[in-house]
Amino acid sequence: MPDNWGFVVAAYGLAAVVLAGYWRRLVRRERELTALDARRRSRS
Amino acid sequence: MTYARRAWIVLWKDVVTERRSKETLNALFFFALLLLFVFQFTLGGDRERLGAALPGLLWLGFILSGILGLGRTFLAERENDCLEGLLLSPGDKSAIYLGKVAGNVALMLTVEAMLLALFALFFNVDVAGALPPLAGVMVLGTVGFAAIGTLFAAMTAHVRARELLFPVLLLPVQVPILLACVKATEAVLLGEPLSAVAHWLKLLAAADVIFVVAGVLTFDAILEG
Amino acid sequence: MTRGLGWVAAVLLMGGLLMAFGVAPREVTQGNVQRIMYLHVPSVWVAYLAFVVVFVASIAYLANRSGAADRLAHASAEVGVIFTGLTIATGAIWGKPTWGTWWTWDARLTSVAVLFVIYLGYLLLRGMIEDPERGARYAAVLGIVGALDMPLIHFSVYWWRTLHQPPSLLKPGSATMPPIILAALLVNFVAFSVLYVYFVAKRVRLLRREQEAFA
Repeated sequence: MPDNWGFVVAAYGLAAVVLAGYWRRLVRRERELTALDARRRSRS
Repeated sequence: MTYARRAWIVLWKDVVTERRSKETLNALFFFALLLLFVFQFTLGGDRERLGAALPGLLWLGFILSGILGLGRTFLAERENDCLEGLLLSPGDKSAIYLGKVAGNVALMLTVEAMLLALFALFFNVDVAGALPPLAGVMVLGTVGFAAIGTLFAAMTAHVRARELLFPVLLLPVQVPILLACVKATEAVLLGEPLSAVAHWLKLLAAADVIFVVAGVLTFDAILEG
Repeated sequence: MTRGLGWVAAVLLMGGLLMAFGVAPREVTQGNVQRIMYLHVPSVWVAYLAFVVVFVASIAYLANRSGAADRLAHASAEVGVIFTGLTIATGAIWGKPTWGTWWTWDARLTSVAVLFVIYLGYLLLRGMIEDPERGARYAAVLGIVGALDMPLIHFSVYWWRTLHQPPSLLKPGSATMPPIILAALLVNFVAFSVLYVYFVAKRVRLLRREQEAFA
């Protein structure tokens, strides 16, 4: 049976993109909230 | 008032209003008729092909008309602002749920019977011989369908895009019931005994019990505000 | 604490990769494509774990109406949907060279796909209801119903693909795996589980801060 390395790379690459993408989304949202907090505190 | 009596009153109210207006039933009957046209036009006149797809088409028809019918479960209460009145009634709210489920089962079974007759008429299928076991499968499937459908109809009654959200939530949860019904109907129409599909019937019965109990236990949480 | 968990997850994932590509041997019958399994099987495990957590948290929410249980259910459903999607995608990528097709209505593929749409609907429902308290209640009901549906889906889909009653209840025992492959799989199981806990912890904290910020 051929090795089909291309499929292996595609699967792991996709997983890396999805998981890293979700992680980045969480981090970015958290940073936005922190910025919002800081803005509110400086205003009051 | 006892629990059963309160469920009965909810059912009776719905039956009486439906018998007077025949609003839902007439429209659903017409819709079922149109479905037959659509099946015929999309699948062509090939009788063998239609015959092979018959169990699937039958349940497709039941499910599509069921979605339209069940989606209206709490419409009358919502439009006339009677939901609050229903909520204020004393005692366990799940009686309302059971009454609504019973009403929906009755409505769906009526539509299903009509659809079955239309199928037999237009597609020239002989259902008379298989009628008793087929009726059993239909009742088992419809109870589970209505149990979840009523619960989700109450849930989506307040959502703006409810006619969209209702089928989107309902259909995936119904997959086991749908599979069991289609497989059992297939066997019954082929003239096999019910014992050949006993595992499907057990699954349907289990689904009915699980969903009705889940509905009774969680309905309070849906209605409270 | 969450940050430490993130580092543990990252290190474990690295270890999992090392096991999958460095230590585990090339599988005899399938070739190197089998290495996708070290990604696919832990994903499926995390997906089921996530939906069981949604179930328990939903019951807890309906019982004592604690915001924490609701946030846990919401976060777990979201992470679960991501891992379910990952399972389906990696399964398709594995299936193409092995079975010659991206998708087949195989029993296990189908049940995972049904779960995927149920919990996508769950997230859709959450997004469509403006009142957060009502959204939490409805989502809890859906979380419970969806979990109760899981065994029904499992059996119905299994019987649907195998024409007659299956010999054993759950699934026929697979061939025993060589211990080295099992070890590689185990490391990835642990890594993905820690990653799940990390994601959920982060998402729960984010949900709490969102609720505080927009209260």
